[in-house]
Amino acid sequence: MGSVHDMGGSPEGSIDRSQHEVEDWERLADAISSALGKEGLYTTDEHRRAIESLEGYRDLSYYERWVAATEKLLVEKEILTTDEIDERAAETERRWGGP
Amino acid sequence: MSGHHEHEETTMSPYAMRIRAIEALLLEKGVLTEPEVQDSIAYMETRSPANGARLVARAWVDEGFEKLLLSDAKAAALQLGMEPEHPAEFVVVKNTPGVHNLIVCTLCSCYPRAVLGRPPDWYKSFEYRSRAVREPRAVMREFGFEPPEGVEVIVHDSTADVRYMVLPMRPPGTEDLRENELADLVTRDSLVGVNVP
Amino acid sequence: MTFEPGDRVRVLPSAKPGHVRTPGYLKGKAGWIESMIGEFPNPEELAYGHSGLPERPLYKVGFLQSDLWDDYEGNAEDYLYADVYEHWLEPGEGGTK
Repeated sequence: MGSVHDMGGSPEGSIDRSQHEVEDWERLADAISSALGKEGLYTTDEHRRAIESLEGYRDLSYYERWVAATEKLLVEKEILTTDEIDERAAETERRWGGP
Repeated sequence: MSGHHEHEETTMSPYAMRIRAIEALLLEKGVLTEPEVQDSIAYMETRSPANGARLVARAWVDEGFEKLLLSDAKAAALQLGMEPEHPAEFVVVKNTPGVHNLIVCTLCSCYPRAVLGRPPDWYKSFEYRSRAVREPRAVMREFGFEPPEGVEVIVHDSTADVRYMVLPMRPPGTEDLRENELADLVTRDSLVGVNVP
Repeated sequence: MTFEPGDRVRVLPSAKPGHVRTPGYLKGKAGWIESMIGEFPNPEELAYGHSGLPERPLYKVGFLQSDLWDDYEGNAEDYLYADVYEHWLEPGEGGTK
């Protein structure tokens, strides 16, 4: 597992102070993660660990990391499978006409 | 937006489809219920920096409340009708003429969400998380703030389960303002400590 | 509880793999115990679905910025706090505020 997330003191450029409008899917990502935590299905610590282990950590946005981590944990805990998520995501995409 | 992920136009992330699929499956399988998901969405919508501003304004006018805020911030928040998070701790640190505080979470962007809502995008950025601990004064300069000569800068890295908020100093010339007017002066950024009201 | 406020401590330079909440920039650095925050289940264990028990003491630990960074630009008195678990600390000899 990498330590890309452990970035205190790393050299970086100036801070982008712009704020993007939170999208509905991001609200949903936040809500699903919190709800699963509330149900005792996973802990904040597991969620953090899952995020830290993501290969695309630096390339994903904040909530993209949340979604990827949630998926990782749900599959790990055998609550869902990657296949069924793939299938349903493809179906949703067909119905909605694309991402 | 944090990290280096860029959208060339407003194309939705493929992760949007993914989380909708996950939601649908979790509901179908009864892992979560619709009310639970809606409650969870609503939870974040009721949290905002206005809560932090209210805590600060009350502390500015009421010494007893300030003491409570600094010794048991959760109790202070509860007193004003807020619901701080469990089991995380909530701690407020006070700016004084000699000391200026700055909050960061280098490892992941922990933030007192249960009181203040979602953190600003810049707080979650790699640039802030990396530089706030090492060059807090340069970071604050980017936000247009330079502490006066002789003021110590103290950085708090939220590495465990404590969530921090800054109690800024009451600006001079505000003696005649009412509490709600004082609250209007308190910005979200000043509660993190990158600048002052 | 091993440490008292004011004690000088050093963060272990451990390269422990997996989920840890001690940032790399603090490893091997010397500071002081500011206060004890409380006792909590170990996040390193919780992260993998374990109970994290027994609870571990968590301290607010202070470090002079000039001890953390060779190129620190600021006042000599500037410092940084991080919340560090007891099992990451050993007695040390560092600066204090």
